[in-house]
Amino acid sequence: MRNGERVAIHGSTVQRFNGSTVQRGTMFYLQLRNELWKLFAKKRTYIGFLMFLLAQNAIILVFRFTNGPRVSMMRTLEGNGYVAQEFISALTVATFMLLPIAYMLLPLYVSLVGGDLVAKEAEDGTLRMILSRPVSRLRLLLLKWLGGAMFSFALVLALGLFGVVFASLWFPWKGLFVFIPGELFSVFDAAGGLQHYVAAHLMMATKAVTVMGLAFMFSCLNVKPAAATILALSFVFVSFIMQNIPYFRDLQHWFLTYHLNIWQFMFAQPIPWWKIGESLSILLGFNLTFLVIGLTVFQVRDIKS
Amino acid sequence: MIRLSGLSKTFGQRVAVDDLTLHVRAGEIFGLLGHNGAGKSTAIGTMLGQVWPTQGEVLICGHDVTRHRQLALQKVGAIFETPVFYDYLSGWRNLEILSHYTAPTPPERIREVVEWVGLTGRETSKVKTYSHGMRARLALAQALLPQPELLILDEPGDGLDPEGIHEMRQTIRRLHRELGLTIFLSSHLLSEVEQLCTRIAVMNQGRKVFEGSLAEVKQPKNWVRLRVNDFHQAVKSLREKNLIVDERDGQFVALASEVDTDVVVRRLVEQGMAVYEIARHEQTLEDFYLGLMRDDSDR
Repeated sequence: MRNGERVAIHGSTVQRFNGSTVQRGTMFYLQLRNELWKLFAKKRTYIGFLMFLLAQNAIILVFRFTNGPRVSMMRTLEGNGYVAQEFISALTVATFMLLPIAYMLLPLYVSLVGGDLVAKEAEDGTLRMILSRPVSRLRLLLLKWLGGAMFSFALVLALGLFGVVFASLWFPWKGLFVFIPGELFSVFDAAGGLQHYVAAHLMMATKAVTVMGLAFMFSCLNVKPAAATILALSFVFVSFIMQNIPYFRDLQHWFLTYHLNIWQFMFAQPIPWWKIGESLSILLGFNLTFLVIGLTVFQVRDIKS
Repeated sequence: MIRLSGLSKTFGQRVAVDDLTLHVRAGEIFGLLGHNGAGKSTAIGTMLGQVWPTQGEVLICGHDVTRHRQLALQKVGAIFETPVFYDYLSGWRNLEILSHYTAPTPPERIREVVEWVGLTGRETSKVKTYSHGMRARLALAQALLPQPELLILDEPGDGLDPEGIHEMRQTIRRLHRELGLTIFLSSHLLSEVEQLCTRIAVMNQGRKVFEGSLAEVKQPKNWVRLRVNDFHQAVKSLREKNLIVDERDGQFVALASEVDTDVVVRRLVEQGMAVYEIARHEQTLEDFYLGLMRDDSDR
């Protein structure tokens, strides 16, 4: 048997290299690991993590050493018959910080990475090096998308962890209070609050992956990485602005951003699972559409220097 | 190894490659010559499945690249004009990443290739610290990792200093000699092609204007340099007796077969012309190339 020859063993195709038989899965694992190396060895990948750290600590310090937000929160709680001190906690502050960061910063940093995934390699010329190898464009893009999705999960995980860890340094571990004007008012004990906090982050990961997928789709076009990022952010912000125009209020479920922000309903009591299921299905549809458009455009593209 | 049949590629209204037919046999060092923008890189792009042909067929190692790209490129290595890598990673990591797109590559194989190209000791340094020459060696290493049978080099001497070009030329010869690789290289540097290739093709404005061996290029006609008091009169006189078949540049004549210089001199002296110099002239690739370009633009 020659080196590199493909053979069928036990019904699955395997490839033989330098005397060892390697499953296709091993190839996929190695290639995915390489994508992650490329992604996580770049300094710009960590901009998002760093900015989360700075933003969260700034918000915590403002919350701790000024009276405005804290007094307003205590007034809301006491006005509804709760003992405010029981809910001014690490979990409450971590969740309080979550809203501006998840709405503004998260889309920015996942778009930055998603927009880079293909367009940066095309711009640098490394894409041409890769595509002189016997790897299909479909496989390459799936690997890159998967790498981007893993980064998105990591970013959301960091957001949740940093928030709760840094808030714990300044605030006690007590119940969770979440208040989004016009949307929800919820209180939980510490254990229940933590469960909702974790669940909200899991749901937020779908937002991060979807925005990354949108930027990834634009990245597959023949554009600069910055253009892909800006196009994705424009799409998200235009959708958000339109969704919040009173005229479109009744049609808000038609907008992508409405479904992207479904994570906040994980703090509702009870959790509206049907609404979440509906939004998840729609997000799945969006993700598949972005991926198929990206793949199709990339497949028919000529890769030139 | 490479067979292009009626290959055409257009970008909008611009024809980049026009009806290109080419055959590169196993074991050859084949050169594709042409000025910048002649269509060389587009032709290479189609060979690697990076550019979709508008028309025609591209077979690499017997497989159609457009339909069976993975099979066709299994035993192919490629190097492009400007070696580009992930600068923020080490040379070793770059080799791992690129080779894994072909097949899982054990560290021993990477070590072997790193040694072969002379990068031992620097393989763990980040690529951003590499000189242009070291990047060129790393590019060669990544191309050699999948144990290729065919090596495609797109403008390999571009951006290298004379020492680098010399080293690159030696390496290509070594690859051909020691590893028995078939090498296809594109270049606009005539001296590079002249010193390396056994056969060449010349492209101009997307079309192939010549394909043949270097021997054919160098001895197509029996050229002599002739210095006389009236070159045009001398040409007229020699043509009358069918002693020459061509003339150019006001100083060269191509002798008819079986005609030697003494016959030419005798004829000119008999016609009362002063002959100052007559000498055999071997046509260089540059003469040939410029002649081709001139002929093609006259058409």
